[in-house]
Amino acid sequence: MNSIPAIEQSAGRGAARAAARRTNRKVGGYDRRPHFLNYVLLGIVVLIGILPIYYTLVIGSSDPVAIAQKALPQVFPDASLFDNFKRVIDADAFSFWKAVWNSVVIAVVVSASTVLFSTLAGFAFAKLRFPGRRGLLVFVIATMAIPTQLGVVPMYIIMTKLGWIGHLQSIIVPALVGAFGVFWMTQYLEEALPYELIEAARVDGASMFRTFWSIALPAARPAAAMLALFTFVAQWVNFFWPSIVLNSQNPTLPLAIRLLQQNYFVDYSLIMAGVFLMTLPLLVLFAFAGRQLVAGIMAGAVKG
Amino acid sequence: MSVQSPVEPESDLAPAPRQPRRVGFSQTLSRWDVKVSPYLYISPFFILFFITGLFPILYTGYVSVHKWQLLQGQGDFVGFDNYVDVFKQKDFWLSLRNTLSIFVISAVPQVIAAILIAAFLDQNLRAKTFWRMGVLLPYVVAPVAVGLIFGRLFADQSGLINAWLGAFGIDPVRWHVDPLASHIAIATMVNFRWTGYNALIFLAAMQAVPRELYEAAIIDGAGRVRSFFSVTIPQIRATVLFVVITSTIGGLQIFDEPRVFDSAGAGGASRQWLTTTLYLYNTGWSGQYNLGRAAAIAWLLFVLILVIGLVNFALTQRIASGSSSGPGKKVKRQSKRYDSNRTSA
Amino acid sequence: MRKTTRKFLAATAGVASIALLATACSSDDPKPASTGDATKDSKPITLTVATFNNFGYTDELLAEYTKTHPNVTVKQTVAAKSEDARTNLTTKLAAGGAGLADVEAIEIDWLPELIQSSDKFLDLNSDEVEGRWLEFKTKPATAADGKLIGYGTDVGPEAICYRSDLFEAAGLPTDPAEVAELLGGDGATWDKYFEVGKTFVDKSESAWFDSANAIYQGMVNQLEAAYENTDGTPIPLAENDQVKGLYETVTGAQVQELSAHLGQWSEDWTASFQKNGFATMLCPAWMTGPIEQNSGGITGWNIADVFPGGGGNWGGSYLTVPAAGANAEAAKELAAWLTSPEIQVKAFLNAGTFPSQTEALTDPALTDAKNDFFNNAPVGTIFGNRYKAIKVTPFKGPNYFSIHQTVGDAITKVDVDKSADSAAAWQGALDAFNALGL
Repeated sequence: MNSIPAIEQSAGRGAARAAARRTNRKVGGYDRRPHFLNYVLLGIVVLIGILPIYYTLVIGSSDPVAIAQKALPQVFPDASLFDNFKRVIDADAFSFWKAVWNSVVIAVVVSASTVLFSTLAGFAFAKLRFPGRRGLLVFVIATMAIPTQLGVVPMYIIMTKLGWIGHLQSIIVPALVGAFGVFWMTQYLEEALPYELIEAARVDGASMFRTFWSIALPAARPAAAMLALFTFVAQWVNFFWPSIVLNSQNPTLPLAIRLLQQNYFVDYSLIMAGVFLMTLPLLVLFAFAGRQLVAGIMAGAVKG
Repeated sequence: MSVQSPVEPESDLAPAPRQPRRVGFSQTLSRWDVKVSPYLYISPFFILFFITGLFPILYTGYVSVHKWQLLQGQGDFVGFDNYVDVFKQKDFWLSLRNTLSIFVISAVPQVIAAILIAAFLDQNLRAKTFWRMGVLLPYVVAPVAVGLIFGRLFADQSGLINAWLGAFGIDPVRWHVDPLASHIAIATMVNFRWTGYNALIFLAAMQAVPRELYEAAIIDGAGRVRSFFSVTIPQIRATVLFVVITSTIGGLQIFDEPRVFDSAGAGGASRQWLTTTLYLYNTGWSGQYNLGRAAAIAWLLFVLILVIGLVNFALTQRIASGSSSGPGKKVKRQSKRYDSNRTSA
Repeated sequence: MRKTTRKFLAATAGVASIALLATACSSDDPKPASTGDATKDSKPITLTVATFNNFGYTDELLAEYTKTHPNVTVKQTVAAKSEDARTNLTTKLAAGGAGLADVEAIEIDWLPELIQSSDKFLDLNSDEVEGRWLEFKTKPATAADGKLIGYGTDVGPEAICYRSDLFEAAGLPTDPAEVAELLGGDGATWDKYFEVGKTFVDKSESAWFDSANAIYQGMVNQLEAAYENTDGTPIPLAENDQVKGLYETVTGAQVQELSAHLGQWSEDWTASFQKNGFATMLCPAWMTGPIEQNSGGITGWNIADVFPGGGGNWGGSYLTVPAAGANAEAAKELAAWLTSPEIQVKAFLNAGTFPSQTEALTDPALTDAKNDFFNNAPVGTIFGNRYKAIKVTPFKGPNYFSIHQTVGDAITKVDVDKSADSAAAWQGALDAFNALGL
């Protein structure tokens, strides 16, 4: 079992074993259905997460007078939610669809590149031995300890020198890869990628990059999906730096949604409708990313 | 050749006699591949860091040894005066106390809750995706919605929490006056956002633990709790370390939550919830606009985070390795790395 | 496994390539800053105006400028809140001034800081705008050497907003003219205001005013030199009898009895609008917005044309022209046009920003303006009168807000937090003042 096809075969076997386990679950053992209390506890956690979104919907389908009068203006969201959506999309202060497009571009590019570069670096740090490895890894981690609040002035100076002010690359480029992602992929691959698989691929004559591409990247999938999701969300809601380098003529979604507050009279029903519109794509993304977080196959591949 | 068998050392220097000559070139190529690839793979991070990360750090260092106003810019070189000034400020020490207090109140329960939630999720659940994504929901809720909700929960007079406490005959908590109460309120906001996030990080690691280990533990007679401590925790040690380090760094840089905790953003009239990053920001960006002193605070905070990060690193390693010596079946999978100083045949 | 991996990788690669394509497309976005180096009038130029909140500069209004200046296109970028705009402006100034709009809107409270860097702004003095504003509006924007860095847009003249329903229940008059008279009319004083407050709270469950800090802010803005001498040197707080006198008034038992003990803009403050928390508020023209927002369903609000201790101003904005701009002279012309009385009246009609131009005050469009939420109060006339009543230009030097915060915190400790008594909190203010190292 020292060639790639053999590994894939054995992985297939692992999957088959997993399937077999699934059919055996009634018998007991680790894969039996969890206790009822398990669902109750998770249910509470999920409920805490859902409440703010529900609240957003309720406020978003209300009106300013009702919001001022009651903490919970109504129990169920109603049709005026859609009127408020329409007011957000048609708002004068910004172009909603342009904001959506900008946000999508930034979030997609940054998450794709973060996943790729973090996994590459994580693979090197976790599984390859090279002079300076430990020192460089500590350096990566140490960069996270730098307080960012002061960085905005020098960063702005760099962006002016590059002529990127007002352009999306002033947000995208600094975020292409970060210490968080590199560190995470290192730690994850350390645990999840059996050394034997790399050795086997190398023995089989695969180049380093091919080893990465066909062994490390698949093994990293659950963590990569999470990293992509986290990065996407972080970029999607990022406000501060975009508010410095972009403007209302070319905004991202958080900038645009905040423009809904631009009056002495703040209409929270409008803002919350906007906030919900902004959150909606993330919920869709969740459904997709959640399914990627399935692993355990790779890990069993060489053990059996 | 079996994967487990040791590779002959340095065999590449003398090509195996039976191999044809032309392999020599591809072997050279392969050797370079092995030597250079690691550096190539980590280079994107370092290149980007040197372009966008290093300059701000050096700039901050340069600013910190000058008299420097945000708008008027550079003044005289003052050596370490700014650092000395920071130590003389009562608010600085107050901010350290608050930061550490909020950090402890938020990070410790957060990591423990996250690992437990992850353990609950790492089961043969129905509707897996729903539960997984459900715990991450707080992470996506926009700050404006969170601010509105927590504002209404933690208001001193009109807040819901105090109303509930009142229903049980408990005196209202002065969330915006009492230092500890304000720290708890802020830590709650932090934990709301990050617990599910960390839980999914743990879950990703738990998913990679070979199921055979659990089966072996069950055969050995270990229950769920036992196998959690003797199989799961040791197996996800690297991830525990990761979460502890990132939570430490994030927790000590806490900024947004204390800033929006009241409308002034100054950390309270007695600075009772002023954190160090907030102090740093307010020093440079409001009041006296003293960017020089703010830069000095930034460097001091950086050093503090490194020190606490290292302590946590040492502690976590000790705890994680300590618990791995449990009765469960131990499997060593880590620490083997592909060596650039040798090539495979 | 092979299949899923491939699918996953293909998806990733596909997403990445779409994304790269997308960046390529978006990088064509027009640069928002002014284009071209046109100093000659004939060359087509684009001028950007950066504002916040709502200045009332609609696209139609900006298009009017192009009618008279065919070579100029005016674009506006808007920040939601003034604090967003302030961070944005300070960052760009601190980084050397690149990327600023041709015309940048600022708030009056930023001036003590910006005026120290007046070299970064164009001198806006010109015959055309001579006498357009009252002195108290232009003085804060004038540097020591006479350079004018901002044209006034709106102002925040203060009146008294009150709850006529609560007044009625407590046996006080409800008609705005009578209320103004009750509070002393043209000779209104703070003592009178507190005295009426006492009669009110004796007969009502509600407090008289919302926050001691709001009252203090109203009082301190009537001092010519509150915390600093007019040459900019700070007055040691321990020796500042004027300020200490005001502090002792608002934290004293007599005034504390009238307070709702709320921090302005706090959640409890917002909620107390619904709970009849207080009966009066110091009320700059723009405050009518937040009051209406928080008072949904409450009908008693009205505005009295009176203010204790003479007139008072809270807030208001200016337009500046950063000196680094490529079209600074053209931008100056635009700023002068935007802050002309006619345009500012239109802006008032669009967004309710009360004009600072003396000529605008007699414009029928302004004097006829009413606010139906405040029982149809003639807000144009009332705030016009309150504007004209402002006699004092408070001097605010570079340390004004740092020192103000030390006193404000002390008042909060006494009034809202109740974590210290008046004397102890004052000692805290003195310590904080000393820590400023002035």
